[in-house]
Amino acid sequence: MRAYLQFELRRLARDPRLAMFTVLGPVVTYVIFSGLLPAGDRLEGVTAAAALMVGLAGYGAMAGVLSVGSSVAQERAVRWLHQLRVTPLSPRRVVAVKALVSTVSGVPPLVAVGIAGRLQHHVELPAGRWVALLVLMWVGTVPFALLGLAIGYGLTPQLAQPVNFLAFLSLSVLGGLLVPTAYFPDLLRHLAHTLPTYRFAELGWRTAAGLAPDPTGLAVLAGWTVAFGVLAAVAYHRSTAHR
Amino acid sequence: MNDTAVRLTGLTRRFGPVRAVDGIDLTIASGSTVALLGPNGAGKTTTISLLLGLAPPDAGTVTLLGRPPGEAVRAGQVGAMVQDAGFVPGATVRDLVALARGLYPRPLDTARVLALAGLTDLADRRLDRLSGGETQRARFAFALAGGPDLLVLDEPSAALDVAARQAFWAAIRRYAADGHTVLFSTHHLHEADEYADRVVLLAGGRVVADGSPAQVRAVAGGRTVAFDLADGSVAGLDLLPGVRSVQVRGGRVALTTDDADATVLALAADRGFRGLEVTGVGLEAAFLTLTGTEGNH
Repeated sequence: MRAYLQFELRRLARDPRLAMFTVLGPVVTYVIFSGLLPAGDRLEGVTAAAALMVGLAGYGAMAGVLSVGSSVAQERAVRWLHQLRVTPLSPRRVVAVKALVSTVSGVPPLVAVGIAGRLQHHVELPAGRWVALLVLMWVGTVPFALLGLAIGYGLTPQLAQPVNFLAFLSLSVLGGLLVPTAYFPDLLRHLAHTLPTYRFAELGWRTAAGLAPDPTGLAVLAGWTVAFGVLAAVAYHRSTAHR
Repeated sequence: MNDTAVRLTGLTRRFGPVRAVDGIDLTIASGSTVALLGPNGAGKTTTISLLLGLAPPDAGTVTLLGRPPGEAVRAGQVGAMVQDAGFVPGATVRDLVALARGLYPRPLDTARVLALAGLTDLADRRLDRLSGGETQRARFAFALAGGPDLLVLDEPSAALDVAARQAFWAAIRRYAADGHTVLFSTHHLHEADEYADRVVLLAGGRVVADGSPAQVRAVAGGRTVAFDLADGSVAGLDLLPGVRSVQVRGGRVALTTDDADATVLALAADRGFRGLEVTGVGLEAAFLTLTGTEGNH
């Protein structure tokens, strides 16, 4: 299993396009848009600069996590996973490693946008809070890793890409990662509060504000994690069924 | 070490009304190199995927090295090149070999794997930048790197050019010489003939011949002697020397024979002929003769 994890991490490191897309995208967006924010504004319980930092870090992390998961569709199509099945590596471990590797791909954007926030707007947090922020937001990518695997195991590569993109765009916009929900109409704001993306970012906002995670938020996030996990399991079993 | 590497009993697999594998019994001794020979559609790939436990049989059993296939695979006793399996982008040949070596309990030395597969100079090349033949060699390296007791190769020489093909078979010979069992499928008679100790001929999902390469060559490498039937009768033709079967098609008789010279001489002495034609049977025709079926392939 360690060999497979190393193999996958090496592959991830060798593909700079993904890192470029997931790191540069949100960092550039942050640098541009955070400059337009009125100074002194507060959003989601923190300064506007910190709120946007958390939102865009989450946005980048989710992009990375989802794309690695859904790339499984390609690996299935070229029958690479088929080849792995005639090695001692069990399919269960393949799935576990894939899930882990996809969450790892969310870390670079989290770190990069954090650095941008610190440098550009002097978002200052105690060292322990930075660490807690990174760890919580990393753990918070788990439901998206499962969603990515559900897409990757459930759909053909032709479908996986657009579905992945649609899921990513709608969840990140409606969850308030790009535009804070404070600017949403009431109805959309209520909707946002039921989405995993909002609750994922909320982990970050509350940590930045020095608050413990909100129990309701954790429950919503846990619910989505279970739902995406079930979806991924079903897709996985269907993909290995013998025709 | 287990004396029997592979044991298949009554193996059957249907796809709708088609019996892709139709009751195969086969026992392969450890340390032998066996060719699974047959034309396209003979059931080679299906047999191999049942053998590896990639698909469950509708009937029959598979035992690899004394245990069910899944267990043997998990224990790292089996390495395989499955058909049409591709690679994921990003990784290099070296990464791939490192992965296989990490997954198996008794891997071969990296340098040895690369040398056997002819990839020493390409070790740091990315898999998505390999040519078709190089990819095939990388797949061989992946199957081999774990040092499996049983190496299963489905159409391993496809996509290889002549030079690569020779190097590839030399590598298989060296691996087999170390006491490993090798099972490969092919539709080239000469490959089975040259590189296997034993040839199992498949057609229509059944074993139609099983023996040394010389024995199978006699069956599959025969010739067809054809001539006009005119007013003659077919009676007695099957008794001519070398003749294995007699077929009449559109006023012409086709005799399948192991010894065309003897057949023609006897024919000339016996009844004469018109419009004589002697052709190599080729594998496809030999299979049809052996299985008594025509078309549908």
